[in-house]
This record gives sequence, C-alpha cells and structure tokens, in this order.
Amino acid sequence: MSQTPQTPLEIQDRFGPHLNYAVGARLATEVEPERLVATHCCFCGQQCGVHLKVRHNQVIGFEPREDFPFNRGMLCPKGVKRYLQGAHPDRIQTALQRDPDAPGGFRPLPYSEAIRRVASEFDRIQSTFGPDAIGVLSGASLTTEKTYLMGKFARVCLKTRHIDYNGRLCMVSAAAANKMAFGIDRAANPWSDIPGAEVVWVSGANVAECAPITTNYIWQARENGGKVVVVDPRLTPLARTADLYLPIKPGRDLLLFHGVLHLMIQHDWLDHDFIRQHTVGFEALAEHVRPWTPARTAEATGLPEKKIRQAAELWGTARSSFLLHARGIEHSTHGVQNCLGAINMVLASGRIGRPHCGYATITGQANGQGGREHGQKADQLPGGRDLANPEHRAHVAKVWGVAPESLPPPGVDCYEMMRRVETGQIKGLLSICFNPKVSLPDSTFVARMLDKLEFFAAIDFFVSETAQHADVILPGSLHEEDEGTVTQVEGRVIKINQALDPPGEARQDWRIIQDLAQALGRPHGMTFHSPREIFDELRQASAGGVADYSGITYEKIEAQNGVFWPCPAEDHPGTPRLFEEGSWNPVAKGAGPFYFPDGKARFQAALYTPPAEEVDRDYPLMLTSGRVISHFLSGTQTRRIGPLVDQYPEPRLELHPRLAEKLGIEDGEWVSVESRRGLATLRAQVVTTIRPDTVFVPYHWGDRRSINRVTHAAQDPISKIPEYKVCAVRVRRASTEEREAAEADTRSSMQIGATRAAGETALGSGRLGQGVRPS
Amino acid sequence: MSVPERFGFYLDPNRCIGCRSCVQACSECDTHKGHAMIHLDFVDRAHSIQTVPMVCMHCDSPTCAEVCPADAIKRTEDGVVQSARKPRCIACSNCVLACPFGVPKMNSSFDLMMKCDMCYDRSQAGKKPMCAAVCPSGALFFGTREEVASLRPRSRILDRFEFGAQTITTKVKLMVPRDSTELQVDVTGALEAVPEEDPFEEIALEGFL
Amino acid sequence: MSREEKTANIWGAGVCLGLGALVLAGSRALHDFDAVLLGYALATLTATFGLTRRYLMWIQRPPTALFWRRGWQSLFRRGLLGRNLLAAGRRIVGDLALNGFIFRRGARRGLAHLLIMWGCLLAAAITFPLVFGWIHFETPSGALDHYTVVVFGFPTFPLPVDSIPAFLVFHGLVWSAFLVLAGISLAFQRRVLDHGAAATQRFSEDLLPLILLFAISVTGLMLSASYTWMKGQAYEFLAILHALTVIGTLLWLPYGKFFHLFQRPAQVAAALYREVATMEGEACCRRCSEPYAPGTQVRDLADVEQRLGYRYELPEGHYQEVCPRCRRLLFGLAQARLWSRATLVDPMPHLDGGENP
Repeated sequence: MSQTPQTPLEIQDRFGPHLNYAVGARLATEVEPERLVATHCCFCGQQCGVHLKVRHNQVIGFEPREDFPFNRGMLCPKGVKRYLQGAHPDRIQTALQRDPDAPGGFRPLPYSEAIRRVASEFDRIQSTFGPDAIGVLSGASLTTEKTYLMGKFARVCLKTRHIDYNGRLCMVSAAAANKMAFGIDRAANPWSDIPGAEVVWVSGANVAECAPITTNYIWQARENGGKVVVVDPRLTPLARTADLYLPIKPGRDLLLFHGVLHLMIQHDWLDHDFIRQHTVGFEALAEHVRPWTPARTAEATGLPEKKIRQAAELWGTARSSFLLHARGIEHSTHGVQNCLGAINMVLASGRIGRPHCGYATITGQANGQGGREHGQKADQLPGGRDLANPEHRAHVAKVWGVAPESLPPPGVDCYEMMRRVETGQIKGLLSICFNPKVSLPDSTFVARMLDKLEFFAAIDFFVSETAQHADVILPGSLHEEDEGTVTQVEGRVIKINQALDPPGEARQDWRIIQDLAQALGRPHGMTFHSPREIFDELRQASAGGVADYSGITYEKIEAQNGVFWPCPAEDHPGTPRLFEEGSWNPVAKGAGPFYFPDGKARFQAALYTPPAEEVDRDYPLMLTSGRVISHFLSGTQTRRIGPLVDQYPEPRLELHPRLAEKLGIEDGEWVSVESRRGLATLRAQVVTTIRPDTVFVPYHWGDRRSINRVTHAAQDPISKIPEYKVCAVRVRRASTEEREAAEADTRSSMQIGATRAAGETALGSGRLGQGVRPS
Repeated sequence: MSVPERFGFYLDPNRCIGCRSCVQACSECDTHKGHAMIHLDFVDRAHSIQTVPMVCMHCDSPTCAEVCPADAIKRTEDGVVQSARKPRCIACSNCVLACPFGVPKMNSSFDLMMKCDMCYDRSQAGKKPMCAAVCPSGALFFGTREEVASLRPRSRILDRFEFGAQTITTKVKLMVPRDSTELQVDVTGALEAVPEEDPFEEIALEGFL
Repeated sequence: MSREEKTANIWGAGVCLGLGALVLAGSRALHDFDAVLLGYALATLTATFGLTRRYLMWIQRPPTALFWRRGWQSLFRRGLLGRNLLAAGRRIVGDLALNGFIFRRGARRGLAHLLIMWGCLLAAAITFPLVFGWIHFETPSGALDHYTVVVFGFPTFPLPVDSIPAFLVFHGLVWSAFLVLAGISLAFQRRVLDHGAAATQRFSEDLLPLILLFAISVTGLMLSASYTWMKGQAYEFLAILHALTVIGTLLWLPYGKFFHLFQRPAQVAAALYREVATMEGEACCRRCSEPYAPGTQVRDLADVEQRLGYRYELPEGHYQEVCPRCRRLLFGLAQARLWSRATLVDPMPHLDGGENP
C-alpha cells in the first residue's frame, strides 16, 4: 500500500526540500576547474548552451557558452544557478524503501535488492491482474534516448498499454493541431527567422518568464522595425512595451483568431495564391468565421473592438511575420482548436515556409519536442509514428525484433491513468521524471490515487512530493550525470554531455530501466551499453517516419552545434525551416511542402467551446495559473536551489486593486482561493497588471499553497491537456487556521540545507558545512 | 591588464524584463563572488511591471571618488571605476549617497563599500561581464561599437546625463531612440514622470461580484 | 605653495621637531643613544615629517575635513559621550585590534591581516623606543645575573638574565618576524591564486608592501641567526642589509599602502558620525518619501559636493535629497520617456530579397 509516510515535517527534515547555496569550492575565487563541459541547461525547452565548471566530480559553477548559436551565452536565472542542484544535501544516493520506523519514513536499501523488490512486485501484479495493471509515467525532461527506452520498456518488456508522460500537460494541444493542419508536429521555423519579422504575434506566452531567451529575438525584430503584438490576460514584461497589447479574457483566444481572420477576409488581407496552391478547406473556414464580427469578437473576448481591428490590420498587412504561442492558449478544453485558430491566421496570410515568415509553439520542457516524438506518449511509437497504425507498428516491431501483434494497443493519457487507478485497472506504477502530485490538476484526487496503488516505484534524484508516496525509490541520475540528446524548441537536436558520475549507488536512469528488465527476466532489447547505442537504434526506428532522425549522429550534432530534424540521411544537413517551396517530405513525396499526401496544409474550422467551468454567483472569478521565472514546473529542482527560492520564495495570488478593494484584501495579506475541487492559501499581491476579473497563481508548489488543489481536471477531447488556464474560483481573506497552516508550509520550505561539499572548501578540506544564505 | 578599448558596455533598460539573470550571475564573478553588485529594481510593482537594471556607469569624473573621505575609490586608466580599496574604505557611505546613479552598495558586515567593477577579472581579459553575458533581453550588452551599430539600427548612444545643473559623462553608454534630438539624458527631469495608467481601465469587473 | 600645503608642512615640521626633542629628552641628551642606530632614527624622523604632512593634507580635503570635524563633534555630543565612548571602544577592540570586519570578509584573510598587523605593531613598539634611546638595559655593577631596564633615563625594574621574560623580551623582534612571515605567506597565497585579486591588484599598492615586510623580516631573522648560531658570521653585511630594508620602508611609509594604518581610525569616527546623525533624524527621499540616510550626512554631502565644484542643485532643492534607489529608477524612467516619444517607423530592407539582418 503506497502512502505518504510520517508527517510532512519529518519528511522535510530528512529529504527536503532544503535550500542549497554555494559553499566551499563553489564560493572560492582561487579554485581552477579541472574542465569545462559544454552542455545545456536542464530546464526549459530552449535548451541554452552552457559550460559547466567541473572539479572533483562536482559542478562548481558555470561559464557562459557563447558558441552555441541559440543563446550565445545568454541564460535565465535558472540556467545561472542550475549548478547548485548537484552536491545537494537532499540528493538520494541509495535506493530507499518505505519504513514507517525510519527517519522520514524511508530506509536505505541496497540497489540490487531494490531492483529485485520492484521486479517481483511488478511480476506479481502483472501475473495476477494482467500486463495492463502496471502503469508507467515518464517525462519530457529526459533525454530522447531515455524517452525512447521508456516507451520500449513499457511496450516490449512490461507489455502494458499504460504509459504516458508529463508532456501531456504541456505540448500536446499544439502537437495535435500541428499534425491536423500541417501533418507534422514541430516548430515550423528556426528562431533566427524572428528578427526579420514585421509583426511578431505572441498569444498566451509569458515569454519573459517562461522562455526568456526568446525575448532577445523579439526585441531584435522590433529593433529592425517590426511590431510586437501580445495577447494575454496579464500585462507581462513583454506586453509592457509591446506595440499592441490585447488583454484577453482567459479561455477566449480562439475567438480573437476568428475575429482577426474575419477582418482579414473582409479587407482581403489574404495570400490568395498561397491559399489556392498550398491549402485546402479555406472556403469552409471563411464561412465558419463569418459570424465573428469585430463587435461580437469584442464582446466575447473582453477586448476593446478598436484593438481587435488594430491587431487585424497589423497582422493582415504585414509582409513578414512570426506567430508564437504557448500554454496560455493550449491549456484549455479547446486547446487544440485554439492552436488551429492561430494556424489558420498564419496559413491565410501565406507567411510560412519562407525566411522571416514563421510559426511555432514555444515548447515548455527541456525535451518537450524530442520527448513527444519517440514513443513514451500513450498512442505513439518512435519517429512520430502512431501506435494504432498497422504499418507503423510493423516498422517499429521489426526494429525491436518482436511480433507487431505483441505490441499493446494505444493507452490513455496520464490523468486517465489516475482514474484507472480509481477503477482498479491499474494496480502498480512506475514513475520517472514526473511529479503528478504537484503538477496534475485537482491534485488531492491524484494524491488519493497514489495512496490507492498496491505498489508504486519511483525513479528520482530527490524525494519529490510524488516519490513520497512510493514503496521503493530508485536513485536516478541528474541531467549532468548522463549523456544523450534532446530536441529543443526549434526542432534542433542537441547533445547533453556528461559532467559527473552519479554519486553513491545512484545510477543513470537507462541502466536502472535495463536492470529492471533483467530482474523481470525479460531482457530482450534492453541490453544497451551506452546512450549512443540507444540513439543508434532510435535512428533506425525513426527512419522513414515524419520525425526522421536516421541521418543524425552525435558527431554531426557536435560539429554543427545541433541538427534540425527531419534528417533522413547522413549526408543531409537537417531541416531548419519546414514547408519551404519545393521541399520534399516522406508523406507528400514531392507533391507539396506540407506533410499530407497532396502536400497541402489543412484549414480547420476550429470550433469554439466555452471553458469547462464558467464563473457564477458562487465562484465569480477566473483563475489562471502559470510559471515564474526562477522556478521550473513542479519545483522538484528549483525549490531546492537557494538563490532561486530567494528570488521568488512563495506563491502569490495576483489580483487587480479594483478587485482587491471589492474583496477587502490588501497587498501581502493571506488569502484563500477556493474552487469546487479544493482550496489553497497564499499571500495576495495587488497589482494593476492583471485583468480585474481574473486572478493568477503560479503552480510550482506542492503543499497547502499548491494551486493545483484548486484547478480543474477537465481535458481537451483531442489532446487530453487539462484546462489549467481557466476555472471558476472565489477568493477571500484566509481564516486563522488556513493562514497558520500556509505559514508553516512556507517556513518548512525555506530551511537551509547542510551542504555536503563533495569537493574541497575554501580551506582545502572536505567537510560538512552549514550552507549560508549570502547577503 | 586593462579592458580592451574596442569593447563597450551598452545599457537599454527599456528592454529589461526583470528576470534577474544579471543579479544571479553577478555573484558568480571572481571579483565579488557571492555578492551581487548589480541593481534590479521594480519602478513600482503595484502599478507596473517595469524594471530598471543598474550597473556602474563608470563616470569620467566619478562623484563617488571625489566625496570619499578616505581616497578609497580609484579609476583605472581604462576608465573603470573600481570598488573601494579595501585597506582604505572606512564605510562612511558617502559614495553610496552621492553616486548620481545610485550604484555603490554598503556591506555593513564587512565595513566596506562594494560596487560593480565591470567584472574586472573578466572584462580585462576580454570576456563579457557576467550580467551582460547572460542578459536574455539585451538590456545589458557588452561588445564592440560595430556590433551595437549593426544590432540596434533604431537606436543611438548617449553618454551625457543631466542632474539638475550638473552634467556627468560616462564610460557606459545608454541606448536612446535614433530620432531623438537630446544631447543629454535629463535624469532629474524624470522626477515629474507620472505612473503608468491602468491598462485594464476599460475592463469592468464581472457582474457576479 | 597652497594654504593646505603650508599648514601640512608646518605641522610636519612641528611634529618632527617635537619628536626630536623627545629623543633628546628620552635619551638624556643622547647619553643613552646608540650611535649605531642613527640611520634608523633619522629615517624615522623623516618619515614622521612625511606622515604628518600627508595626514594633514588628507584631513584638509573637503570630505575628510568634514568627517574630522563631525567625528569629534559627534563624540562629544552632549549627553552621548558615555554611549559614544562605549561604542567607539567596542569598535576599537573588535575591528581595529581584532580585525573583526576583515575576518567577516574571510577567515584566512582576517588571519593574514591580524598576523601582519600585530607583528608590525610589536616590532615598532620594540624598535622605536630602542632607536630613540628611550629604553635601554644596564648591567648594574657587580650584578651578572640581571639587567636593569632604563626608561627615559629612569631605572625601573630588574630583569633576570636567564628568565623567561628576558628571553621573550630580547627575542621580541624574532617573534614579530614570525608573525609577519606567517601573515605574509597567507596573503601572498591569496594574491597569487585568487582570480579577483589577480585582476585588481597593483604591484605598488598590494605586492610591494608584502615584499618589503618580507625583506625586513627575513634579514632581521638572519641577523638573529648569525649571532645566535653562526658566531656573528656576515653580521656586518646583514646589519646593513636589514637597515636598508627598514629605512627604505620607513621612508616609503607616508606614500604607500601602510598609510592606511593612520587612516583606519577614521572608520570609528565614520561610524560614530552616522550613528549620532541617525539619532538626530533621518532624511526622507523627496521622490518616494522613505527614510534613506542620516539627515546631517545628506546636508553635509550637498555642502561637500558644492565645495568640490559639483552642481547637483535642482530648480527646487538638491539632488542629494533623492535616495539611491529612486536615482536608479529615474535613470530608467528618463530613458523610457525618450523611447515613449520616439516615432520610428523603419522599412525592413532585408525583406526585399536579403537574408537575416
């Protein structure tokens, strides 16, 4: 029976989060690193290049990496302080087994014993309840090699249909829309096309905080004379000086796209040649958007009509443009439709597949792109192939040396897997690189489901909130302890290089998975000796698919500073820009630039549905959630890095002063935000930079301040992405008990860790010192 | 060693997104490790998201040095105004209060003024100062004049600043609009600047409240 | 010669003459003066002139003069003398004597400074009285087992020859050399290895003083070694060498890093000034209305700036009345104002066929 052991405070004492600060060699100014490892940041999808300074198997600092063309040395605060995640007092260095009598509820377990224990439990559950009774949760911050191996492990070794990944919370709406409209799911352009765009349109993307490096590309466009249009319910740093800011009501983005298209048609701001030659479905779409007059659009989106007209004119008359969107429009029960609306605007303008003319979703996770291409998604096989497609199954089965019919059918999304825990279809769970207790909506339900499991094994490097529920925790590897590839936001495949060896009994994740396969007595196809070997098999498995990696090698990545897929042959340089006139792809086979048999893109008459939960008398406000710059996703890493916590120590509820006045709430006061699912207590931040009918809370925390206790688990019918960006809530001053509980959580999340300095200190000796918060 | 002449430091606060990369990276430089010298302030968070990064402007005739009773602040031949000489600084805070740009910081535990020194260990070796190396918005830029000219076609540089009746010229340059006619930046003129207007003025609270 | 220079010269000469008089008095009209040490004595007198002169030049600079005046005023502020003496005493012991503020910058750093400082002070405390003939040791007739310590010509107490105190006293310079050398080795290590120090240090300011102290200590120790173990071999040569290093250092004293020894007490004055001024009332920023500094210091600074030739006066009031944070904000706001007025509309020339700009 999985359950959180002990009280949260005891777990916190033993396993953190504790704040890590620079001490010893990391603070010394006379220490020379042994080497500089050229690699990338472990956090977001932009994958900035960075040099890690390594000494005595510890990362002691960083050096800007100006040779990597995407960021040319630039980094956000997370990239600067990422090095503090290593040599961390909370780092798991042995396997752990639940033991209510042990401090913090876990006792160390020899690695081999832990593997045997997990294997025997999985075996028992599968032989009793069938192969599908084991679920696998994986993540998009893993290297592509690992994501490929996770998919193969689930399908070939466990033979379960139940595998899905946390990209379900990020990229799936855009992915589905891209496949429906273009036949391929990838940013259509490299970022180098942004600076030449006359209009950069940003919808639902807080670029400054969630994709900071992209800011420079957008400012460069403006510096070159371009105009910036920002659509967001919050006045983001980018919006402050944008040429046009549209403060849209949460969940109504599609209607704005419809409204703009309506005006484009009305004013004939269309590229008729492009529409005729390269698209199908325009007439139906034109009919579909006819009702969306400026007045009606203004009414529905909460925007002034004048601004809609200005936006349409800017977009309609531009000679070049780049449209970017992100979770703001994708985290919606009609997230796919929102993305299709944006794509319609792009296709109607004909501004795609050329220099300075582009479109992209801003991928969230480190390997958000690569992690969704090679088979850890419920319905997918390597190379962007479909698990339901017999031809695709046959190709991959051949590479894997198994019968096509032995591959399980498509499974369900990760949230549905939780529901299947409730119905008893899933009894055992293996998770890696996923912290669903913090990141899934309506998280009290998720916590209950984790407790309901018969057996739960987690692979992790810290005891995350989810791992706290595990029966066995296997000590996995940090980003800098392994090598492999990831595919960043532009579709550029890059190389992560190993800087350290895993400490203690910790293992590289792919070794752990293979050890499990071995212990299960099903080692077939799980005997790789290195990430390179895995990558070489992945190349074969992806060959001929849409996401074709077959021509990419580690050497080529290093030599070219990344290779854009598709790259179907070793002498192929890769494809930075998709959909260029006259380009070839394996689906159209020369018929046209898009990935359909006729080579034409699809206009989709995207259907608007209101958010699953509209405001009413009981819950009169819209809640929208998102990120802050100094934290990443569920915060497992960033909530342990002292300087990042100091930058943004606790979640705050942003609300407009007019609303605050109405509710009698003052800046800094503790408030409770409540929905039909649950309640979170946090402090208010009263600012004029948010719509008065909307409140915002960042989602990186896991305790009583966690906003995912409040959010809604309603999902997009196609992509299954949850509707994080809008649900109905009410806000009031917190009661004394609520406030005290939240204050206790704040205090406990701010403990400074005793730092295990693996290397020497400034005084030249290894020692256990108390970390000090710098002045 | 000194900072190579071809390199300059260019500030464009209007680009700043308040990410604090500069602050985080500043404390990683070996001349002031563990201490962030750069300032990043919200202008008025309750009413705006605007932020201002501030590095030392390295004045040609530094007020901080002149008002220092201990002769602790020196400007090297390359025009970099260095942090207070440790043997001399008496922690009086005159420099902190007198700097027209509000740059020096008093470390009261050390009884020592510390300030941005353009990451002297880096810049004199031809490397970018930490803040300008990492800045994701280009608000802080370190490079050659040619680079600036090609990257910022709609901007020009100004290095004269007006504070009441006093004009100060600096080594660090400010990016201003190409079409502006000002010969110097009227800093104290901004005392009359009005707060940004509420961008949501036109948006009413929903009816259920 | 400027007025300041004249004052400084007069003071320098006066202090120098005063010291000369003390030498005459203390050595009983040179009766107790050791002629071998004449070079040292002359160098010391020269250094005294130089130091006094520089000190006077220093405290006449407008900001320093103000601190000098305000420091004393603050100390004797009515009703605060007791409190001030206590606070100053605490700082003198904690920071000046024990180097607390340097230890807070780094343990090794503090240790290095403490060792060098006390080594030098100890050596000076031994050397100068001997050189000036203020202290000497006499062997009372018939007594072979003890000396009499003569101070300023007055016999004081007997010192048994073979006692531990005698051993400690007669080897005082050896101990101080060890302290200094230990400190120097730590300091040198930092100067060589520390990347920040390597970038900002200068030979004359940071390395030369260490080299001089090293030379003094080593030649001094060699002198001791020569007469203790080597029957005075090369003693003459070493004595001259040692004298040269010491005299050179003394002559350099007013111009180099060691002058900070005489400036450092100002740290106590600065703290007193700010503490007392804070009690008298803080200035509030004319832009944000927040208190940010002692009112007296703000007014004093405005005054000093004016004397230095700055013109930070505003149409209403003085720029010194704006707090540092608001100064930074004004900088950003001033630039933002320029941009909000900009009316740039650029063609995008690269669109007509070119690649990326």
